[in-house]
This record gives sequence, structure tokens and C-alpha cells, in this order.
Amino acid sequence: MTSPVLSVKDLRVNFPSEAGSVSAVRGVDFDLYPGRTLGIVGESGSGKSVTSMSIMGLLPDYAKITGSVKFEGRELLGLSDKQMSEIRGNGIGMIFQDPLSALTPVFDIGSQLVEAIQAHRDVGKKQALKEATELLDLVGIPDPHLRLKSFPHEFSGGMRQRVVIAIAIANNPRVLIADEPTTALDVTIQAQILDVIKLAQRETGAATIMITHDMGVVAETADDVMVMYAGRPVERGDVDTIFSQPRMPYTVGLLGSTPRPDVSAEEPLTPIVGSPPVLVDLKQRCQFAPRCPVAQPACSDGEPPLIPLDDTSGHESACLRAPEIRDRKIGGDLMFKPPQLADDVMAGVPRDERPTTLEVRDLRKEFPLTKGALVKRRVGTVKAVDGLTFDIRKGECMAIVGESGCGKTTTLLEVMDLKPEHGAVVLNGKDAAGMSNSERRAARKDIQIVFQDPMSSLNPRLTVREVIAEPLNSLGFDGDVDARINELMGLVGLDSSQLDRFPSHFSGGQRQRIGLARALATNPSVLVLDEPVSALDVSIQAGVINLLEDLKRRLGLSYLFVAHDLSVVRHLSDRLAVMYKGKFVESGPTDEVFENPQADYTKKLLDAIPIPDPEAARRRRDPRPANASPISQK
Amino acid sequence: MTKYLIKKTLGWLLMIFLATNLAYLLAANFLDPRSNYIGRRPPLSAEEINNLLEPYNLSPDTPLVQRWWTWLTNILTKWDWGQSPVGEVVNSEISYRIWVSAQLLLLSTILSILIGVAVGVYTASRQYKTGDRVWQGISIIAMNTHVVVASIAVVWGALKINELTGKKIFYVVGSHSLDVEGFFPKLMDSAQHLVLPTISLVFISYASYHMTQRTLLLDNLDADYVRTARAKGLTRQQAIRKHALRTSIIPVATSVAFSIPGIFTGAVMTERIFGWNGMGQYFIETISKNDVNGAAAVAAFGAAMTAISAVLADVVVVALDPRVRVS
Amino acid sequence: MTPSKDRNYFKQEPRGEITAHSEVATGDPFSPAEAEQVATLEQMPRGTSRYKLYLRRFFRNKLATIGLIILVFLMLAALFGGFFAKWDYTEPDFLALSEPPSPEHWFGTNDTGNDLYAQTIHGLGRSLTIAIVVSLATLVISAFVGSAAALWGGVAEKAVLAVIHFLLSIPTFLLIALVVADSGGDWKLLIVVLIVFGWMYQARVIWSLALTVREQDYVRAAGYMGVSKLRTIVRHVIPNIGSLLIIQFVFGVVGTVGSETALSFLGLGVKLPDVSLGTLLQGGTAAVQSSPWLFYFPAATLTLLTVSMAFIGDGLRDALDPNSNSGGKA
Ligand SMILES: Nc1ncnc2c1ncn2[C@@H]1O[C@H](COP(=O)(O)OP(=O)(O)OP(=O)(O)O)[C@@H](O)[C@H]1O
Ligand code: SF4
Ligand SMILES: [Mg+2]
Repeated sequence: MTSPVLSVKDLRVNFPSEAGSVSAVRGVDFDLYPGRTLGIVGESGSGKSVTSMSIMGLLPDYAKITGSVKFEGRELLGLSDKQMSEIRGNGIGMIFQDPLSALTPVFDIGSQLVEAIQAHRDVGKKQALKEATELLDLVGIPDPHLRLKSFPHEFSGGMRQRVVIAIAIANNPRVLIADEPTTALDVTIQAQILDVIKLAQRETGAATIMITHDMGVVAETADDVMVMYAGRPVERGDVDTIFSQPRMPYTVGLLGSTPRPDVSAEEPLTPIVGSPPVLVDLKQRCQFAPRCPVAQPACSDGEPPLIPLDDTSGHESACLRAPEIRDRKIGGDLMFKPPQLADDVMAGVPRDERPTTLEVRDLRKEFPLTKGALVKRRVGTVKAVDGLTFDIRKGECMAIVGESGCGKTTTLLEVMDLKPEHGAVVLNGKDAAGMSNSERRAARKDIQIVFQDPMSSLNPRLTVREVIAEPLNSLGFDGDVDARINELMGLVGLDSSQLDRFPSHFSGGQRQRIGLARALATNPSVLVLDEPVSALDVSIQAGVINLLEDLKRRLGLSYLFVAHDLSVVRHLSDRLAVMYKGKFVESGPTDEVFENPQADYTKKLLDAIPIPDPEAARRRRDPRPANASPISQK
Repeated sequence: MTKYLIKKTLGWLLMIFLATNLAYLLAANFLDPRSNYIGRRPPLSAEEINNLLEPYNLSPDTPLVQRWWTWLTNILTKWDWGQSPVGEVVNSEISYRIWVSAQLLLLSTILSILIGVAVGVYTASRQYKTGDRVWQGISIIAMNTHVVVASIAVVWGALKINELTGKKIFYVVGSHSLDVEGFFPKLMDSAQHLVLPTISLVFISYASYHMTQRTLLLDNLDADYVRTARAKGLTRQQAIRKHALRTSIIPVATSVAFSIPGIFTGAVMTERIFGWNGMGQYFIETISKNDVNGAAAVAAFGAAMTAISAVLADVVVVALDPRVRVS
Repeated sequence: MTPSKDRNYFKQEPRGEITAHSEVATGDPFSPAEAEQVATLEQMPRGTSRYKLYLRRFFRNKLATIGLIILVFLMLAALFGGFFAKWDYTEPDFLALSEPPSPEHWFGTNDTGNDLYAQTIHGLGRSLTIAIVVSLATLVISAFVGSAAALWGGVAEKAVLAVIHFLLSIPTFLLIALVVADSGGDWKLLIVVLIVFGWMYQARVIWSLALTVREQDYVRAAGYMGVSKLRTIVRHVIPNIGSLLIIQFVFGVVGTVGSETALSFLGLGVKLPDVSLGTLLQGGTAAVQSSPWLFYFPAATLTLLTVSMAFIGDGLRDALDPNSNSGGKA
């Protein structure tokens, strides 16, 4: 075997904080070989970014870093910023998560690229510009010579990420680090960007570190996988082994809680209960023990090291019981038991016989495009929502998918406002257009919303009790408010003893549950769900998805569900509409649309979803000739 | 881009127009020109006073709307800002005072911005180190010292220096000496007069630029694009100097407009203390003499100073920010 | 991952506006990038332990601690200092005209024989009363105007902002001077006028912060739960910008003291026989060569007052700002 280009040994990073020292990374080891791609997966806060930033020497001064990072045999830790700057962008290139803010807004694209080239090579401005043009061409920016003079704000997110990639590979780095390079992008763009990275890797022969929390992206891109938990690698191996024979309960749980876009969902997902530990004053034990369904007393005796497994070479696990794990089972039993869902109250009732809870006819919403600072001139119209018609029956989940900016949220808001300018919104047989203000208020009892961001959906100054009581007090509730609140807490799987605490005490998943309890308070028949799980980690997300499924069955709720994650949609929804530029290009029963898409756009969309199964991913990709997908946009 | 600047300028002209009218109406309502004639010997009757005020467009007998219209049309058509209750012509009163005040105001504004921004950049690059903390303390004190106290302290210091050197280096009264001849002596003389009030004004006003620039730069230090710049091979200092600084100056420039009213207020007081015959001094006179037209002219001047600074700042913004240029 | 930053939504300049001090409002002090911060404002222990944390952070700031000590001393002096005065502030001692400080007249006397100590104590109280009343009122007004503008949005918001920007860019000090000039030095009228022309700056700051609160999902949820806008302001918006309001109040007092003393110094605000620090300063400046004590005492009192409050405001900002990382060095 060749020698590794990058070799990390026992990397540890601590940050001082008011609550004590945060151990963000606690002993990361890996070797990276030329041409290989190492996928690092793990939930939020598991130390993925800190690991990559410490390799690049980009952590703030107050971070305490120990261990060793060797690049081409040279120790990087301890180098000065000046010395590191000779390696950054030259030997190691990096791509970041948020393309919208990754480029300096006041410089044009050309000069930012030229800067990257001239930082390491003594080439003239003209030559550098020529190279910049070639780079832009390589990453798939059309008319590159014209675009050199453009500013970042004139580019879309996907195009900006291409520019960031061009900057990262400007000097043919030996190592390319991509920290969640596609998390902020739509799936179709994500697929393109992943292709560009692959292409860049081929052009430069670089070894790549692909950091992500998306099991699908790992399966599609990585050769080797390192799973991180609480700042440490807990399992490592090649991609096929990790996905087919995971030997660490955490990995098994992660895979079990990831919804599959490519198979119809019959079984509920298996969530991992609890949430990751706070990285301050960690106990000496397996950090996963509190959430591990197969933990044993020995697991609390000390932190199990990451050790090679005897039976498969190159596969390491940090679990005491790794030898017992086979086919995601331990001793033949499933480790994570799938939860029991409630009986579906509407089971057996065919769709035609179910009452329609929400009906939308020819909904339109236009925004004027204006120009001018003082006196606004109308220069055009954006048709954000352009003639949508659909209906939702009792006990049914209808999903709208589409890329960002296609009008999903506007649709939801129009429905929630119950005051459509054009078209009709009919709630349980009552047309919103004809409602008086007090009727509209009363109707709000019947339709409620759950938002995307668990951080912002609850007022941090109110206790959970006050949060849940708000709709009851505001919209009126005959009956015992306190009893109702307790009932709601039970319904969403939270303990009533927590009622007098503030939202900041709860994790993201728990907050989403509180938000759900608030939405359910007035017993609505329709719930509008605006990306309710997209801000959550997979292991937490699975629990919320199951809860939504359970509530739908138990209460016969109707959901209007918006998401960009097609796997989640496939898992949860009964019917599906694909939206593109304000219109539905296709709609129908979910499985039908997935299995037999009609519209080109739907096909493109489905084709772009990464599948969390390396074999299936390869199968899907292989028929495609290498890099046949033209890298172009718009 | 020129269109952007023209539009901005038109907006500021509208602001001057409204501000001046507002000042005129308030002055006409709250100042009573008649009191200038009360107590005269022999006593004048109300009617006689009104008749005296009539030619100056100040007579309370004339309806306010009519007075206002006359005042406005005189300005717009003849650039005639009216007369004081005892007949001094406002135009000639303000013609030289404007330059006296304008040089003081513009000079101290520009110096405050330069010093404040420089200190802000310096302190931001050494956040929480001694230099930062010391400047923080100085600036808080500077920003919160009353301009009167600051001016007197400056005067005291200047007199001490004059005393120690035995020469008249600083003049503490007036904007220029009367008996100086020749270009360079005149320039020197102006400078000797200008230094002290400028120092007091800069002292009280640089600090807010320091604080703003520091905060903005600190915000930008950890911006994603600074990280990108470092990732491509710049050192932290290079990345900050090249990428963070320029971006962080833009909002400082846009904030200049709002700081002018404050510095103008400061100038009113420094002019008084240093005995400068400028617009600030004139304003106090107009108020004590119930000079409605004069007061409105001062307000117009104040608004114009804001507008000029704002437009200059906009030019800087346009030069720095492509998002304004390209659109 | 957000490395801790020196976040700027407790900006350095929430101040009164018509002060003699220049103001710098940044283009947009609270850019949308800060939105998240409001929601996560309280990522820390609750209840008493939270206040302990605030206290600890506040007292870690030495300047703030010194400021607090000075302010408490000044407050006590304003409240009880009068009991120790041997003379009433209106009562002249004709046997001691323009006398330097002495056991009989601690701060000396002026040319009409008024006891400067009594005058300073009274003036301090007068200035503080005006400043506190004005700041409280402007705070309430600007909190409502700012949040309402943000919450209602549309034309109402545009109109309010236009008014605010207009008032911020014109020399309001001159307008105030015009209005109070002939009022004969009534401090209550002064309060009214200072309020009328004094709310805009804070309203703008509060507006921009309320804007980020408006974008929070809990505010939108409240709308869909039929909670009225007014109630939303009281229940959701104001509590979440509470710490900013406290800081605004402190700097508001500093700013108002500045404006009031400036007006009184020019002879337009508080007038004899009533005294404020500004009137005393006027007398002091006039006599700074002959009787310098007449300048020193009021000037020192005024400077101590404003600077100590500014230090306190700064310390509060550090203590209440969850992202201030001066504490990261623990
Ligand atoms: N500059 C910093 N100062 C203090 N703590 C930090 C800093 N950067 C990261 N941390 C902490 O280190 C831990 C690991 O963070 P890291 O960003 O590496 O996680 P991650 O795996 O990249 O998560 P995500 O999926 O959300 O990007 C977190 O607890 C985080 O709060
Ligand atoms: S070591 Fe124990 S607690 Fe940790 S994952 Fe293995 S079985 Fe679970
Ligand atoms: Mg990360």
C-alpha cells in the first residue's frame, strides 16, 4: 500500500466555555490515501467540522488542540498561521457548507479565483485569469470568461458552490475536504455538485474527506466511512461493510432511522431514543450507553476503544459487544425495536368515501416585482403560486415537494391565512372567502401549523405550559385547560412533569413535539406541516416521523406536508404533488409517483436523491456513463 | 450607479425641504418677534409693532399660511431668506458664517471618521487584549463627556501650553485674527484658531465610529468568506485586511448621515465656547431675538450639512459595494 | 457550527439621539443573520441561576463595577445630599459672594452668593429626574412604535420608518431649542419636548430587533392561533427584547442628561432660579477664569454621572449578551 497523504493521530480539541471545557473532538485517528474518499458521518455536534477545521488550522486561537496531523509526512499541528497558509489552498483545499456566505460579496469572482492562484504560485495576472476561466469551465459555469467579472450576489447558490470548488482545486491540492458541501442545496443541485466534486477529484487526483450527516450522500460518494459520536470515531470500515454489516449499535440505529427513498414504507422507522451527550465533563464510559438498547453494566466501566474486528479486515468498532452483532441483530434479535403504531381509525375506508377536510381550487398568489428605491415601479410579476388545485381527505397526508423557491411555503401561508386573493380554500366544506372575521377566527381551531425550526417555533420566555395553553386561551376551549395540556403532553410522548420548564431545556426533537402539542391543542382536523423534521438529526427525526404517523392514524388527522427531503415524504405521505415554478407538474398516490414518474421534472428529482445503500446507489449510477450528466444549470 | 446617486440626492433634497419648513412653522409658532419691540421708549402699541413687522413678513396679523407662502416663494424664486424682526437681512448674516461653521463641521466629521475607523480596526484585531480594553475605556469616557466639559478642558490645556512655551500657539477665542495679512500667515492663523474646537468635536464624536467599526469588523472576522479566504492560503491578517475590512466599512459609511445632527449640536456649543461667529452662534442669537427667518435658515443649513455628508458617504459606498453598483 | 462570535445585536450605540454626542447608527444594526440569535437568546440555565450568571458576568467587568459604585453614590447624594446642605439652593449668602470652597460652603459660592453644594445636589436631582422620566417614556413609546411597525409591516411600517429616518437626519436639537426657548425654563415642558423628539433612535433599534423576532416562528404561530397583534407585542416581542430594552434605558438616560444639560447650558432649558447641571455649567464656564470651582464641581458631577452610566450600560451589554465571549476565557 502507498503511504497516506494525510495521517491524523489521536486528535483532540477542547474549547474553554463558561460551563467548563468542551471536549469537541476526543481522539480521532485516520489515514487518508491518495484517490480515496473518506466519509465522516455523525449527528450535529459530533465533532466533524472541528476535526476538519483543525486539520486546516482554521480554529480560533483559544482552541486547545493536541495529537498529530501529518500531511505528506509533515506535522501540521504547531505550525504558525503563516506556515499553515502555505499549505491551505495548496496542499489541502476545502469546500464549505453555506455557499451563499462563502464568497466575499464585494469582490468579483475572477479576482477571488486569481487570489487563490496567486497565493501559491508566482504567475502573472493574465495567466491567472486564464487559469481561472479554465477552472470555472471545469466546474461547469457556462460562459466562464464572461462570468469572471460577476459578483457573488449575481450567482445562485449552486453556482456559488461551484466557484468555491474551483477555488479549492485551483492549485491541484493533494487533499480535498468537503464539509457538508450540499446540505444547503436542493437535491437536484446536490447531485450536480457531488458530480463536480467527483470530477474535481479525478482531475486533481486528490484524496477527499466528505463530511456529511446524510447517509445517502455517504453511500453515494465514500470509499471508506468513519462514524463519529460525541467527538470520537465509533466505527470505521469500507462503505459496503459499514452499510451491510454495521457492528456498532449507534451505526445500526442510524441506518434504521434513515428513511429509504427507493422502497415503499411499510414498517415504521426505528428511532434512537434520547439525545447525544453534552461534551462537558464526560463520564468515563461508552458515550452511547444511555441511548443504547443493548448496553450492559460493563459498558459503563470505561470508554471502549476503537479496535479492529477479528473477522473482517479494516473494520473497526468501539463497541464491547461488536463480536455479537450480525446483520444488524444481536443474538438474532433486532437491537432497536420498531415502535407499535396506533390502529388507523380510517383503515379500510376507501379514499372516495372519506370526507374532504381541505380543498384548494385554483389557488394563485402573485408578488409584484418592483424596482426603484424611492418611487417603486412595477416591472413584472412573480407567480409564486400559479393555479393549484388539490384536496385532502380525512386521515390522509398530502405532501408537496419541490426545490427551494418553487412556492411551497407561499402555498402553505395562503392556506393558513384563510384569505386567498385568487382561488378558493375550503376548510371542512366552508369556503374561506366567505368567512367573516369571527368565523375565520373560529376556523383557525380547525387548521393549525407546525414549523420547521425547533429553535424559533417556541417563545423562549414562556414555559411549556404557557406555550401549549396559548391557542386554548386565545381560540377558546370549554373544559379544563390543565387537563387538556396534560393530555396533549402524553399524546406527543412527553412527560407532564416537564410542563413548567422553559423551551431551552429541551432538545430539538422535544421542541418539535411541544410545537406539535400546541398545534393539536384545539383539536384541528387539518395540520399544516412546514418541513417539520428537516432541522433534526436522523435519529431524532425518525421519532418525530413516527409520532406524526401515529397521530394521523389515532386521530384521523389530515396533513398538508411540505418537505424537500423525498425520503421522508415517501415514508410519511399518502399522496404527493411535485411542484415546479408555482405549478404542480405531477400529483398522485405517493408510491405511484415514485415508481412510475411521468413528468420529466419528477424523474430528474427522483434520480437525484441519494440512496442510503452503496450497492443500490452503484446500481443506479452505473448504467450512466461516467459524467454524462452535463454539468450545467439553468 | 449615477442614477442611484441622483436618486439619493433627490431624497436628501426633499429632506432638506421638509426640515426647513418644519423649522419655519415651529419657529413661527413658538417665537414671538413682537417682543423685540416691547419695552421700547416710547412704548409702541400692538398695532404699531405689527406694522413694523409687516415688511419683514413677520406680522402676526398676516395669517401663518400666507406668511409661510411668502417666505417659501421668496426663497425658491429669489433665494431670499427674509429678514430679522429688526430688519437685518438673513442672507448677508449667514453668508460668511456658513463657511466658518462648514469648515469646522466637515473637518471634524472627517477626522472623527478617520480616527474612529482606524481605532476600531486596531482594537478589533486585538480583541480583549490590553490595547482594546484601554481604547474601550477611553472611548466610553470620550463619548460620554459633555462637549462643554471637553471644550473647557481643551481650552485649559491649550492655555497651559501657551503659558509654558511663552508663545501664542493656540487661540481660544474666535475663528481668525483681524490683522493678519498674506496667504500663508492667514492660513496659519486659521489653523491656530481651528485646532481647539476641532479637537473638542473630534473628541466627543470619534468614539462612536470606533465602537461601530470594531463591532462590525469583529462580526466579519468570523464570516464564512474570511474563512474561505484563509482556506485558499491567506493568513488570518491578510484575510482580515483584504476581505473583512472592506465589507465592514460599508455600514459605517451608511451611518454617517445620522451622526451629523449630533456633531452639529456639538458645534453649536463649541462655537459658543470658542466665540466663533458661525451658524451655531447665530442660531442662539436668532432664538434670543425671536428671529423666525434666521432660525429657519439655520435649520436648512443643518439639514444641508447632513445631506452633503450623506451623499459623500454614498459615493464611498458606491465605490466599495458592488451590490449597489451592479443592479 | 457557529464558533462563538462577538455578536453585535447589543450594539455599541443604543443611545438617546439629540445628545451633544454624535451618534452612529449602523446601516442595519441587526441584520437578518442575527435572527437565530434572538431565538436562542436563552441557551443557559433559567431562574435564579441565570440571574446569578448575569450578575457574575456584570461584576467581572471592572469598569462596570466602578460605574455602579459611582452611580449609587451619586443617586444617594441626589436623594439625601440635601439634608446635609447648610443652605438652600435658592437662598443666597450675601456675606459670601464668589467664595472658594470652605467649611461653610463646601463647593464654594457663586457671584450672587448661592451655595454651590446645594445647587449641585439639586441640579443633579433635577437632571436625573428629567433624564429618567424622559428615558422611561421614550422607551415605552419606542418599544411600542418599533415593535408595532415591525409587526404590522407594509405601508404602516414604511411610514413609521420614513418619519424616524427624517427625524434622525434633521437637527432636532434646533427644533427642541425653538420650542422650549420661550417657555421660561419649565422643566416639565422640557420633559415633554425631549420625549416628543427623543424616541426615534431607540424606536429604530427596537424596530430592527423586533424585525428578527417577527420572523420567529412563534410569532407566526401566534398569528395563526388568533392572538391579536397587540397581545403578540406584549407577550412575544417585548419579553424577547427585554435585555436590549434595559440597555437602551441606561444609554437613554445618558443621552437625555446630555441633551438637557446642553439646552440648559445655552439658557434654553432649565432656567434660574431652578438649576440643573446644565445651568450650573453655564455659570461655571462663564466664570472659569475667576472662580474655577464653579466649573469643576458641576463638570465633575456631570462627567461622573454620564461616564458611570455608560460603563454600567456596557457591562450590562456584556452580561446580557449570550454571545459575548469575554467570558470564554474561563
Ligand atoms: N469555536 C468554538 N468554540 C466553542 N465550542 C465550539 C467551537 N466550535 C465548535 N464547538 C463545539 O464543538 C462541538 C462539535 O462541533 P462540530 O461543529 O464539530 O460538530 P459537527 O459534527 O460538525 O456538527 P454539524 O453536523 O452540526 O455541523 C459542538 O459541541 C460545538 O458546540
Ligand atoms: S459498548 Fe455497550 S453501550 Fe456502547 S454501544 Fe456497545 S453495547 Fe452499547
Ligand atoms: Mg459541521
